Amino acid sequence: MAGRYAVGALGLALMGLGASLVWAQSPWDVAVWLVGAIVLHDGLIAPLVLLVGLGGALTRPGVRGPLRAALVTAGCLTAIALPDILRPGPKNNATVLPLDYVRNWLVLLGVVGFGAVLVLAVRRVQAARRRRGL
Amino acid sequence: MKSRLPLPPPSALLPSFRGALHDRRTAAAIGRLLGVAMLVCMVTGVLSHYLQHPPSWLANDLPARPTWGYRLNQGLHVGVGIAAIPLLFGKLWTVYPKLFVWPALKGVRHALERLSVAVLVAGAVFELLTGLLNTVQWYPWPFSFVPVHFAVGWLLTGALLLHLAVKWPDIKAYWWQRSAATRALPQEPENAPDRRSLLTGLAVAVGAVTVTTVGQSFTPLKDVDLLAPRHPDHGPLGLPVNRTAAAAGTTRVDTAAWRLTVAGPRPYELTLDELAALPQYEVELPIACVEGWSKNAHWTGVRIKDLTERAGAPGAALRVVSLEQHGAYRVMDMGRTYARDPLTLLALRLNGQVLTPDHGYPARIIAPNRPGVLQTKWVTRLEVR
Ligand code: HEM
Repeated sequence: MAGRYAVGALGLALMGLGASLVWAQSPWDVAVWLVGAIVLHDGLIAPLVLLVGLGGALTRPGVRGPLRAALVTAGCLTAIALPDILRPGPKNNATVLPLDYVRNWLVLLGVVGFGAVLVLAVRRVQAARRRRGL
Repeated sequence: MKSRLPLPPPSALLPSFRGALHDRRTAAAIGRLLGVAMLVCMVTGVLSHYLQHPPSWLANDLPARPTWGYRLNQGLHVGVGIAAIPLLFGKLWTVYPKLFVWPALKGVRHALERLSVAVLVAGAVFELLTGLLNTVQWYPWPFSFVPVHFAVGWLLTGALLLHLAVKWPDIKAYWWQRSAATRALPQEPENAPDRRSLLTGLAVAVGAVTVTTVGQSFTPLKDVDLLAPRHPDHGPLGLPVNRTAAAAGTTRVDTAAWRLTVAGPRPYELTLDELAALPQYEVELPIACVEGWSKNAHWTGVRIKDLTERAGAPGAALRVVSLEQHGAYRVMDMGRTYARDPLTLLALRLNGQVLTPDHGYPARIIAPNRPGVLQTKWVTRLEVR
């Protein structure tokens, strides 16, 4: 119990330190970006994911699992590919962002889709065998 | 008598969640991985901060070994940070319904708890987003990245510890398969297949984002480096570059006029030919950028220790000055542990070739276990301190 309070107190102290360091920089700009981070996630990303999830919920349970895993993976790959793809302005030099990121991103989405189809196919074959008592 | 419209209570207007995955057990399972990832990022971040900007009492005692220490540190910072992105999405997904609890505020305690969670969520999204954008050198915000990323790191770590303290009963209850609350769940709960597929999906996503980016520092995986902002094979003499000679204004150094000036008890000057005639050593050391990419290379040049010895101050700490006119790293201080290390060179050659302008021609520093920004290029002056 005492440990729990000690950890909580340490947490509050570090939050105070962090807040004072932010204060020494440009507190209002940072506050806008912190609140913006919440709005971006809770107001935009999460509702989008919910919508996609609703679509997925209509599928059969056997399909739903691999579909969900594939969508989660594709979504995360997209999240880390977007900065590569969208970064505006001239690059510092030719060794910064040297790859064709749009192509690589599309290739990876293809690989993820192919993987999901493969898993579904294997499961279907296995289920059919089981039904035939093999 | 006035008939009143049956107004729904406000809570009915908020979304409700019947989905099976927004449960405390899943939140705890993803949360502990995410918590570990955030602590690794904070520890490596703070180490990086002090390796770059040591307080004066520490500057002469920073370790020069292991040679790959900073490389591993920064590779972990960016690698674990990227791996945390799917975990953060997963965690926020499992707890999303809590955003809509009603009544929104039940009292002071509840208000404080929600505030601390808001700081935690905002801080986590902020750190991952700013960190990721910094690695592609994209700065869409009006503040400077390094000090703010540092400050919010402390804010986030504090909010994380507070959160652990507040949620301790739940965390303990669901920590193990055999914990009380986990065992109280039905043997094969209704949500088991959904829960498994979510966790599998997150595991696959963590693997996918890691494998496709970690090759920028873990060179054995460079062939699947598809999404990292750097690639080990892209750069002059097989090594990527950050600050170019063009940016530094050092594209055409007049070799005949160039001198290395060494200031100390017995000051002297050397031409490039004289420097090249001194005993040359070859070392294998990485360039490890603060932005996370790194690569090993072969360097040939003169030991810094030999140069300071000749100036009458063997192994002394140094101030190194570059030819570049502007730039935050024009002047670099090197503590004693690095200056006396036999691996620390004033390098003239890289991977068997004379340095190119972008790699610091005519002479640059290479030292073990230091961030890339301190491997000063286009060196013209060494001052014994
Ligand atoms: C839990 C999340 C994170 C925490 C707590 C954290 C914390 C820190 C801290 C304390 C520093 C030292 C800043 C200084 O030198 O003053 C740092 C630096 C850095 N972080 Fe993070 N970080 C996080 C996530 C990330 C992510 C996801 C990335 C990139 C994908 C990232 C990229 C960087 C970079 C590139 C630096 C070096 C900046 C420089 O010195 O130029 N960070 N971080």
